[in-house]
Amino acid sequence: MQRSLLGRFIDRPEFGPFVLLVVMIVVFTSINPAFISLLNIGNTLAFTVELGLIALAMTLLMTSGEFDLSVGAVFGFSAVVMWTLFNTDIMSLPVAFLTALGIALFIGFVSGVFVTILAIPSFLVTLGMLLVVRGSALWVTDGFPQRSWRAGDQWLAEVLVGDFWICNWTIQQTTCNPGLRVYMSVIWFTLFAILCHYVLTRTAFGNWITACGGNPSAARNRGVKVTRVKIILFMFSSFMAGLAGIISSIRTTAANPNSGAGYELEVIAMVVIGGTALMGGRGTILGTVLGIFILRLMRNGIVLIGVPGLAYNIFIGAIILGMMALHSWLERRHNAGT
Amino acid sequence: MDQPLIDMRNITKHYGRIQALTDVNLKIAHNEIVGLLGDNGAGKSTLIKVLSGAVPLTSGEIWIKGQKAEINSTSDAIENGIETIYQDSALVPQLSIARNLFLGRELRKGPRFLDRMDLAEMNSVASELLRKVGISKNIPPTTPIGSLSGGERQAVAIARAMYFDSDLIILDEPTNNLGVAETIGVLKFVRDARDSGHSCIFIAHNIHHVFKVVDRMVVMRRGKIVADDLDPKTCTIADVEDVITGEDLVI
Ligand SMILES: Nc1ncnc2c1ncn2[C@@H]1O[C@H](COP(=O)(O)OP(=O)(O)OP(=O)(O)O)[C@@H](O)[C@H]1O
Ligand SMILES: [Mg+2]
Repeated sequence: MQRSLLGRFIDRPEFGPFVLLVVMIVVFTSINPAFISLLNIGNTLAFTVELGLIALAMTLLMTSGEFDLSVGAVFGFSAVVMWTLFNTDIMSLPVAFLTALGIALFIGFVSGVFVTILAIPSFLVTLGMLLVVRGSALWVTDGFPQRSWRAGDQWLAEVLVGDFWICNWTIQQTTCNPGLRVYMSVIWFTLFAILCHYVLTRTAFGNWITACGGNPSAARNRGVKVTRVKIILFMFSSFMAGLAGIISSIRTTAANPNSGAGYELEVIAMVVIGGTALMGGRGTILGTVLGIFILRLMRNGIVLIGVPGLAYNIFIGAIILGMMALHSWLERRHNAGT
Repeated sequence: MDQPLIDMRNITKHYGRIQALTDVNLKIAHNEIVGLLGDNGAGKSTLIKVLSGAVPLTSGEIWIKGQKAEINSTSDAIENGIETIYQDSALVPQLSIARNLFLGRELRKGPRFLDRMDLAEMNSVASELLRKVGISKNIPPTTPIGSLSGGERQAVAIARAMYFDSDLIILDEPTNNLGVAETIGVLKFVRDARDSGHSCIFIAHNIHHVFKVVDRMVVMRRGKIVADDLDPKTCTIADVEDVITGEDLVI
């Protein structure tokens, strides 16, 4: 039964993405050293975490055996709702913020109810929800972006996306040289990643999430409230999509009703590349974090090494196919080995 | 016979226009293994699904230890001390043995809102149980169920029912798809469960398996109980086969 440390590492779902990430960093840096510069890292991180927040929640949802195609639409819609309410002086920014997130939670709740209680596949439910939500965003705004530059003097904006510099100390200097620029959103992402990892691996609720995806009837037979677990996860993923959309709108000083289009697929790609199973029962937050970085660094890296950005999707598609092949090979190796 | 553990009275079950159970009466005593026999479609699975809360009954009453019980869901049944082990829906393959044992009733530590599992305690209880049910190999409790054999999975499910002190353990075709040695193992677990004070309902198509382990046999045909008290010590396999097929009603 005792296997070597290496053997056990290879069997982990995070093994493939980890190796890929290391290889990418080595290759990109050797071609263009600017890849590993602090400026580039800081910029990449800022973009990364917005999709990353959604990917964390999507990991839990997919582990329970469902997925949500409406996250990109909620990403765009929540920001539009918040800024419309604020700009028309209906609400103060914090109240508009809570209202927008409340609507996001409600959208997730409705999807969850359709999937669990009406037993409609999540593909169809969330596809429908995508159209409803995106349509609402366009209708509310007449298709025009909402300005969000008035965020500048708001404490809420500071808390969500304010930035600070990590000093680049050297021995001789006593002053702080700006080194790595860090956005508050990175801190939020880190906190949520730790929280999600803790929930999935250490809590009873995490046990239920895996059980819901792995064998729903077994979970139900043990008294696990499968319906409730899934609805909560739909609400969480919608909530995180809304939060990410709001953060993004403040950073880019615009709430565009079209923003977030196509994000759902990119997020699902991040999650499955990280080793979470599309059909549920196996999920890893660590893997998702690796998957997030793989996709983001790939987008960033191929531009830096001079490959046209338009070729990006070719690489991403190839990575997805390669990772799926690896995971299925590991699965078979695992089943044969016992 | 003193007060029975389970007393099912006049149970009727319709699936739409199909009548799966007609006026079934069945008592199960404490510390008894009952073999439930019958041909395909006789209504065996339906009867135990009614008892385990998986399907609602159309009419009839279930009494447990002299009290009328309302069983509307599987958790109701578990609360009433009835554990059902389905061949393919008992365990989650991706979760470890220990996590499966405690699924839905995880041990926790620390403040309630952290919802933190006591994994160390769960693992040590699981090791202890695995030793008790006599899984021969030394399998760590962190092994995922997916890498166990069919017989070992049954053993884990039975161990769970024993650990949570259920009064009645229901096994629907637990020896299907098992090899010879594994079947013997499962039959042994069932006897151990009885010897430590549990009652069992055991459904199997292989009459030889049933004969080896039960105290009493009940035969169903077309949704009705046609024989209620066949004793494996006094009747032969051929007799039972006749009752199942309805060739000869005289025993
Ligand atoms: N969910 C259902 N919907 C409609 N009819 C059903 C359903 N489940 C069972 N039945 C019918 O009820 C009758 C009894 O089925 P049941 O599964 O209880 O038989 P069984 O004795 O367990 O048979 P087997 O030995 O093949 O498992 C059959 O006629 C079956 O077709
Ligand atoms: Mg059956």
